[in-house]
Formats: sequence, structure tokens, C-alpha cells
Amino acid sequence: MERMRIETPIPADMASSLRVGQAFEIYGKILCGRDAVLPRLVKMVSEDTLGDLAAHLEGSVIFHTAVSPAGIGPTSSNKVEIEGSIVPLSTAGVRVHLGKGAIGADTVSGLSANGSVFAVTPPATALFMDKIVSQRVLAFPEEGMEALFEVEVAGLPAIVAAAQGESIFG
Amino acid sequence: MTPYDKIVSAAKEALITAATTFREDQYRAYERAVERETNEPSRWATQAMIENAHIAAAKKYPLCDDTGIPHVILEVGTEVQLHGNLIAAVLEGVAAGQRVLPTRPMGLKGSDEERLSQRGGLSDDPAAVVPPAIMVRSVPGHELRITMLLLGGGPEIRSQTYRVFHERSAENVIREAGRWAVEAAARLGCTPMVPCIGIGRTHYEATTLMLQAMQEGDFDHQNDWEVMVADMVNSTGTGSLGLRGSVTALGSFIKVGPQRASGVRIACMRPGCAIDPRRGTAVLSGAELGE
Repeated sequence: MERMRIETPIPADMASSLRVGQAFEIYGKILCGRDAVLPRLVKMVSEDTLGDLAAHLEGSVIFHTAVSPAGIGPTSSNKVEIEGSIVPLSTAGVRVHLGKGAIGADTVSGLSANGSVFAVTPPATALFMDKIVSQRVLAFPEEGMEALFEVEVAGLPAIVAAAQGESIFG
Repeated sequence: MTPYDKIVSAAKEALITAATTFREDQYRAYERAVERETNEPSRWATQAMIENAHIAAAKKYPLCDDTGIPHVILEVGTEVQLHGNLIAAVLEGVAAGQRVLPTRPMGLKGSDEERLSQRGGLSDDPAAVVPPAIMVRSVPGHELRITMLLLGGGPEIRSQTYRVFHERSAENVIREAGRWAVEAAARLGCTPMVPCIGIGRTHYEATTLMLQAMQEGDFDHQNDWEVMVADMVNSTGTGSLGLRGSVTALGSFIKVGPQRASGVRIACMRPGCAIDPRRGTAVLSGAELGE
């Protein structure tokens, strides 16, 4: 299957050109966070207290995963604290939300309104091990494996599942 | 090596096998799925899962970063001489396997309130993820079998244990549990799935039977009910990763236990994910245990 190469940070026009079913590979630095930190980021966006983190969000990919010695892999994006972050963080510049599982119609339309997309990737942790170039904790170290991480990847595969108001989930 | 040390080693190896290894019937189920899948994105995702399993086995990497909560089933032969430190040895083996692999450090610290609200922090020690109560079954013979099941979080979100009114029809019961699996399919994300179902008299019994279904299930040998449940899920067209397609379930595993004289059955359905069942079994003979 042919895959588009996407490098981070992602220009807004590239993100808004993505369509449901588009396969791509991600190169560059991405953010990794899940249940514990995404609501905290959303709160910072709403209170305008992101500070230096704002630059990391613009054009970013947020992978819904923990980061641990066991590796990385998608967690369920339809958990309330994660799905609830998708639209607010899109307003702050996140262009690709990467995870797994069906998301709701309101989230799909909110993504579209902000020129962002939702993509899915397989639970292929062993396969992903060789695609991790480096990793570091970016914020909230007290959350352990659920901290906000910056991970540099080379060729992390994904497929667009929701974009332009359309969703593969029906 | 003392019998205690042999049990520690066996439990450790069972955990590592469960976390890193597809069984042959699992590979064959995936290969059949690739052949049947007509939607290219779904077929790609299914093939990626096979490649992932080969890498995990070769390099002893976890199949999934959610290395799960270890559940232990001990089958103790009636002729095996038991020692009081059996359980301690098994738990030590679980911890050793978690540290060597390593598994994900996701044990929460603190009081009841702190653990429930996740405000007490996480332990850095992967072995802080302790197993729940160990299931022990008596079986004929001279062997001790240690089975490790690793239960990830995604399926737990969408599992349920509930009553079913059978109305004098076994199929009614199976179909109802199958409907629960159908509801779970789209939101699970990690498809192709394997619904695992236990049916008994109480919620506890149904759950233990579901675990036995995970322990004994075989993708190469599916009975009529297991085929029916898998067909129900596949008819959703959810496909691999929800990308739409013809294969949403690789199969299903069902274990039926004793039943109560009543119009009610208790069913437990866990929608196993794309790498389920993660299980590893180690067998120790009576001689190895020092008889």
C-alpha cells in the first residue's frame, strides 16, 4: 500500500489535504500522551498557560500512548479523557491525533472545523521499537509512563480514519 | 535447582512467553484472515500484526506496550505433593518475568483514594503490577501446570458480565453474548478480535470460565457456537483496526460450566483484542518438584 511521507511539524495545508483512507508514515518529533496528561494540556489551552509547550503543539502529532520500557502502542482514543482532548487540542495546533477505536460524530466534525485529522495505527509495539529514534519527557514527569513525552520517530505507519467531516467508522 | 526455584523459573518463562509469542494456531488464524480480507487497508493492518509477532518472538519484545495484568491459573495434579510456598514461588516468578521483559510500570501507589483517583503516583517497578487472586484447579496426574494470561486494558473497557434469560434455548444465551461482542467490535480499535465467553451460575464463576476459555481456546478447532459468534462479529464489517473489511474476529472461545436450575444464566464476555489470548504455559513434572 502506497504511503505518503509526513514530516513534523506538519504544515496546515498538508493536514487539511488529508483524506479518509490515506496511508502515511511519520518522520520527526511527535508528542505522546494519554488519559493523565491530555486533560491537563486542555486546561492549559483554555487558561492560556501553555507557555513553551505552545510551540510544541503547533503542527504536531499527538500519539495516544504511554511511553515505557515496554515500548509504545495505541491506547483507546474513545476513552472520555482522550476523546475530550481531541477538538480542544486541535484548536491549539495539533494536526494529527493518532490512536485507535471509533470516535464520535461531534469529534469528527470538530476535527474538520480545525483542519485536523484522526488516524489509527496497529497495536504493533515490537514493530515500532526500531522506529523510535529518541525520547524524552517533555512535561508532567510525575505521571510516570503517562507523562507527556516527545518521541522522535522514523517511519511510524498510520491511516487516516477521520478527516474533512468524514469518518471510516460511519 | 530446588523445586522452589524451578517453580519461579517456570512462572517467569510462562509470563515472557505470554507477552512475546503467538502460538501456531494464532499465526494460522492470521494467515487465513489475510487470505479472506478484501479491503486493502485492513489487510495491511492484519499483515502488520503478523510482522509484529515475528519481531516480538525473535527479539523478546512485548507484542503490545500494554503488557497487561497477569492472571495466573494453576492446575495441580492430584498426585503432586504441594508445598506451602507454591504460591510464593509463582508470584516471585511473575515478578522476575515482569522485570526481565520488561513489562510496563503501571502499578499505582497510595491509599484507596489515591489509587482510585491516580493521585498517588506510579511505581517505577514493573513488578508492582501484581496478579489478582490466583485460580487453582485440581486435575488428574503428576504435573503442575502454570498458565499465565496477560489481560490488557482495551478489552476490559468493553467486557461485561450479566444475566441472560435462556428461555429453554442454549442458542439464546450464546447469541446474547455474541450481541455484546458485536457492540464491542467497533469501539475496541484493536481488531481483529476474539470474543472470549464464559457461562456459569454466578458472576465469579462466569468470569473464571471466561478465563478458562482464554486458556483453552484454539483457533484451529472452533465449535458451532464459536463459529456463530465469530460470524456475528464479522458481519459488522468493522475489519482490522476498524478500517472496514471482512475479518473483524479471528474466532471466538466459549466455555460453558455447571448451570443452575433457573431461567437465568450468567455470561461473561471479554472482547479479546488482536493479540489475545496472550498466554504462556509451563509444565513441571512430579519428579522436577522433588517427589
